[in-house]
Amino acid sequence: MGAAAKAEVFWRSALQGVRHQPFPHAVAILTLAISLFALGLGRAASGLVDRLLASLGNEVEVTVWLRPDLSRGEVDALAASLRGRGFAVTLVTPKAALERLVRELGPSADALRGVSGDPLPPSLELLAPPALRSVESLRRLAAELSARSEVSAVDWGEEAVERLSALSRALRWGGLFTFAVLLGATVAVVSATLQLAIYARREEVEIQKLVGATDRFVRAPFLIEGLLQGLGGAVLALAGLAIVRRWLEPQVEALFSFLRVPGGTSAIWGGVQTLELLAMGAVLGLVGSFLAVSRALRA
Amino acid sequence: MIQMFHVTKAYPGDPPVLTDVNLTVDKGEFVFLTGPSGAGKTTLLKLVFCAEQPTRGQILVGGRNVARIRDASVPYLRRNIGVVFQDFKLLPHRTVLDNVSFTLDVLGTPRAESRERVLRMLKLVGLEHKAESLPLKLSGGEQQRVVIARALVNDPTILLADEPTGNLDPALTVEILDLLCEVNVRGTTVVVATHDATLLERYQKRVIRLERGRVVGDTALLKSARRTG
Repeated sequence: MGAAAKAEVFWRSALQGVRHQPFPHAVAILTLAISLFALGLGRAASGLVDRLLASLGNEVEVTVWLRPDLSRGEVDALAASLRGRGFAVTLVTPKAALERLVRELGPSADALRGVSGDPLPPSLELLAPPALRSVESLRRLAAELSARSEVSAVDWGEEAVERLSALSRALRWGGLFTFAVLLGATVAVVSATLQLAIYARREEVEIQKLVGATDRFVRAPFLIEGLLQGLGGAVLALAGLAIVRRWLEPQVEALFSFLRVPGGTSAIWGGVQTLELLAMGAVLGLVGSFLAVSRALRA
Repeated sequence: MIQMFHVTKAYPGDPPVLTDVNLTVDKGEFVFLTGPSGAGKTTLLKLVFCAEQPTRGQILVGGRNVARIRDASVPYLRRNIGVVFQDFKLLPHRTVLDNVSFTLDVLGTPRAESRERVLRMLKLVGLEHKAESLPLKLSGGEQQRVVIARALVNDPTILLADEPTGNLDPALTVEILDLLCEVNVRGTTVVVATHDATLLERYQKRVIRLERGRVVGDTALLKSARRTG
């Protein structure tokens, strides 16, 4: 009974606080919204790069260059073992490789007319099964095949994939650093604005303490205000992200149309990410208000 | 109800505000604490409701040593002590009803019960018709009565009043003091700090006199001495 009555008092007091001091609360909500918006954008960018990297695995064809002196039987045995592991394998004989090169060179292929024998080694072109299409799996496969005696070289576009991986890592670390800076700044601003609100209500706090309110009782309405600020900031940030998404998504999809992003770019921001941002807003608001009210109660 | 043993209160760099104060206020007593400005009256009251801690000495309130009380226990002690201030300490943007409810909100009293008790208390102080008014719309005497209602609404065992009539004209002063006497008759221990000598003469209650932080007179001790002498 007492707890319900107290909860009612806390909510009433918190809503009165917001109503009586709209300006500091608006500043806090706006600050939270900007920070959460930036965090959301970072999260979406990192998600996009991760998915692009994953999708690269779908597109990359692994070319296994074989030793020229291998017998047809040895080549077929290797191809069969790879097929047995789920890879789609195409054998490109030296003759077929030369024909392909001539085709690709077009008029410049005249230079090859004097070449006798088989100048190009045989190769196997592999497409990985869905379960083995990640960058890591491809890297492991390349290392494994390179170690085999029948294989002279393996090519899977490692350089391009490595660059994207490095970009992803940089984005992740940069995102973490930005996240930490934004987090600190947001908590500081929220805490400062709530301290203004507490200062404006210092008389109320003083009277509460004089009539026997515990620190927890004094703190509760301010924590609710912080929570409301956090949720308000998160909702604004989500609205901003939705607008950006609507404007940016078609361009991103057009830009990366050569890659199949699983689930499309819409899969980068879903219900989980929305809930995460709301939770983050709530936690930031609560931490900011807790720090502010603790400082005020110590004073 | 209130006992002080060799209580001294000093702030760093200043002479002591209270020096070696010894006194006892019994349950149900009405006591005037008097003396010139700066004598230490307000500090003495603050020590009782733990707004300050003594530098030396022991203070028992309701048998509890408040000189050694933990910070977390202070709110629970204060729920048994009503305090009336000269500057009222009312929230200007809250109604009279809300201001008085404050004390019960802290206790988690359900809203309906709280409203009923507040209205009963406002009736006692003659302000039931002003429940929905804002404090600034009331006269000084009415505001002080709201403060008394706030101090009494949770039935404290002790009521401390610091210059409760300092801002009031003589007629309102009598009105407020009569109210405090009525509260005392109902069983609440009342300690009133005042420098108004006319009140001491008019009400003929026990008077403890402070000067420069020391107890220099106590009518209870005087009477006791006369009886034994």
